Amino acid sequence: MSERTIIKGLAKAFNVSQTKTRGAARWVGRNVGGSGVLREELRHIFPDHWSFFFGEIALYCFIILVATGVFMALFFHASAAQVVYEGSYAPLRGVTMSDAYRSVLDLSFNVRAGLLIRQVHHWAALVFAAALGLHLFRMFFTGAYRRPRIINWLVGLTLFVLVIVNGVFGYSLPDDLLSGIGLRVAYSITAAAPLIGPWMASVLFGGAFPSEALIPRIYPVHIFLVPAAIGGLLGLHLGVLWLQRHTQFPGPGRDEKTVVGTPLVPAYALRTVGFLLIVAGALAVLGGFFQINPVWVYGPYNTWDATTLVQPDWYTGWLEGAVRLFPPWDIVIDGFRLPALFWPAAALPALLLLPMLAWPYVDRLISGDDRYHNLLDRPREHPVRMAIGAGTLTFLFTLLFAGGSDVWAVLLGWQIEGLVLAFQIAVVVLPPIVAVLTYYACKATSRPLRSSLAGR
Amino acid sequence: MTEPPRHRPTWPSVIALLATIAGAVGFVWAYAVDAHNAWLGGFLALGLLGLGFALAYWGRDLAGHEEAAGRYPIPYEDVEAQVALAAEAQRGAEVVTRRGFLTKLLIGGVAVFGLSQVVLIASLGPRPKPSFSEGDWAAGDRLVTFDGRPVTRDALATGGFLVAFPEGRTDSANSQVALLRLPADRFAPQPGRESWSPEGFVAYSRVCTHAGCAVAQYQDEAQVLLCPCHQSIFDVLNGARPIGGPAARALPQLPLAIDPAGDLIAMGNFSGPVGPQSWTVY
Repeated sequence: MSERTIIKGLAKAFNVSQTKTRGAARWVGRNVGGSGVLREELRHIFPDHWSFFFGEIALYCFIILVATGVFMALFFHASAAQVVYEGSYAPLRGVTMSDAYRSVLDLSFNVRAGLLIRQVHHWAALVFAAALGLHLFRMFFTGAYRRPRIINWLVGLTLFVLVIVNGVFGYSLPDDLLSGIGLRVAYSITAAAPLIGPWMASVLFGGAFPSEALIPRIYPVHIFLVPAAIGGLLGLHLGVLWLQRHTQFPGPGRDEKTVVGTPLVPAYALRTVGFLLIVAGALAVLGGFFQINPVWVYGPYNTWDATTLVQPDWYTGWLEGAVRLFPPWDIVIDGFRLPALFWPAAALPALLLLPMLAWPYVDRLISGDDRYHNLLDRPREHPVRMAIGAGTLTFLFTLLFAGGSDVWAVLLGWQIEGLVLAFQIAVVVLPPIVAVLTYYACKATSRPLRSSLAGR
Repeated sequence: MTEPPRHRPTWPSVIALLATIAGAVGFVWAYAVDAHNAWLGGFLALGLLGLGFALAYWGRDLAGHEEAAGRYPIPYEDVEAQVALAAEAQRGAEVVTRRGFLTKLLIGGVAVFGLSQVVLIASLGPRPKPSFSEGDWAAGDRLVTFDGRPVTRDALATGGFLVAFPEGRTDSANSQVALLRLPADRFAPQPGRESWSPEGFVAYSRVCTHAGCAVAQYQDEAQVLLCPCHQSIFDVLNGARPIGGPAARALPQLPLAIDPAGDLIAMGNFSGPVGPQSWTVY
């Protein structure tokens, strides 16, 4: 029998028409190989739950950030050279500013659809960080970080840090007043590290502040280095996810060995591509109708300029709050000064990140549970985990609100000193209270209702 | 898993796809007439959301909602493959480690070479110097505003406030001062600084000692300077010592005098280092 006859017979047996799919499959078979693996993967199973969308939203935000970022890169000038603005935004005509800031004004006012792309980019970054935060806490509360997913927990946390760092870089590039103030504070935070601080600051920022080297230096890091690292780690994250299959909540037919959900082709593929477009559409609504970071209102950065009610983007707002609340406890020994700024701005993020990285190992140590887990926990069945998570979230959100202490002072008509004191007390007192309440609430609600259901 | 196939109408996807086409046409129209950002964004969103909804609905409701089961790879089931992998890796490693001395030399060589490349960091920035946090004032420098005009004794009434720089160096971030004219009945100079504030003129560094922002706000009833970044509060009647917020150090003071022409001049540099200080060895 010839090869052709065999193929014809097989095609008939599998009820495959001789036309399009057969042609595509033959092309893959001849040019790539691995038809068996590919067939398996077309039936890759994705379990369904609304909370699994957070990671998808984050992934799609990254895609949209790259697409809009490429467009903006065609117009942005990464230059601190001073120019006099003569563009179409009348209130700033005749003002001396950096070429970088001018190019952002031109992108916003003179490039058609430039403002839309810029605003979608900024909104995508804000939503990206939010989706990552939700994704992280979904993983935490359902115990999804346990073996075999410790690696993706570590990769995911690294991604979160990179995304926040790149958000700060992006926010710094337009060289508007808020960019410059943010960079001035970043310089001080870097220099606050004991012994090596000023050396690091000088090396990273190119000398004393302000430095002409800064914007040209941040630019390639923001548009290439960090995105490349994010892209690479995202590939690793998704590759491991693909190999391991997604976790699932317990349900009929589901166990640690059997995953139940929607197959990739066609249902999941249609849904997820649809979801990408819906995320893009939602960001287009935000970018089209809701102004974000109107740099022309702030004006160019000069070291002697300042403005009131200054807040960074939300994902660094908790750091801003910590910096505002931490008391002026400089440590001075024999003429050497460890500034108080070091603790809230440099030590605190490290002290938060390290326990998070170590958490899967801590969990394993405490529970003695080293098994594989493909089934997720119902959060309230683990009161200690819930208490730790709720306490941490309370801590972070209290700091986030404290980051806008001046805004609250204006809105409430309070003195800033009293408000700061209230926040200082809250940030110490609230997290343990919330943690204890959460613990007992979980205990109470996860207890089987023996008395009322006894007869069933 | 065994629920019967649902029969869902196709019209939602049809309408969504028609909306996509309308969004596409609208987007091109908005672009062509250079319409407001909201039109561009609105039509773009209509196109994307229409297409997204059509596909998502198709995948969820028209594709039959087939739920299927698959298998999680359970790694401990592949012990044989793990052992085979370990054997393969060991064979590779043995070829290298058989030559013990060479292996050690290789590790040493890689480490030394790697470390040697660290010197490139020095190209990125100068060695930090104490001058990074020094003002650029010398005795006799005239105070000027940011547009270069000299500050005379008539420039400020009591309770007034302006920003001043050394003449010719209005770009010197570390030299900027908050120049105040304080009421004589409330202001008493710090010991050792009695001659620094002629006719009630007092100049403090305008770089916040907390995180380096411009200490830009002045409240003349309370006689405090405020930093808008993190709300540090400095008592200008008392050597600009911090009385609220996260700053720990007083703002350095600039010794002032008035020359025979009536212009304000500095009598030297600041009373101490400017801006945030840290623990280092230069």
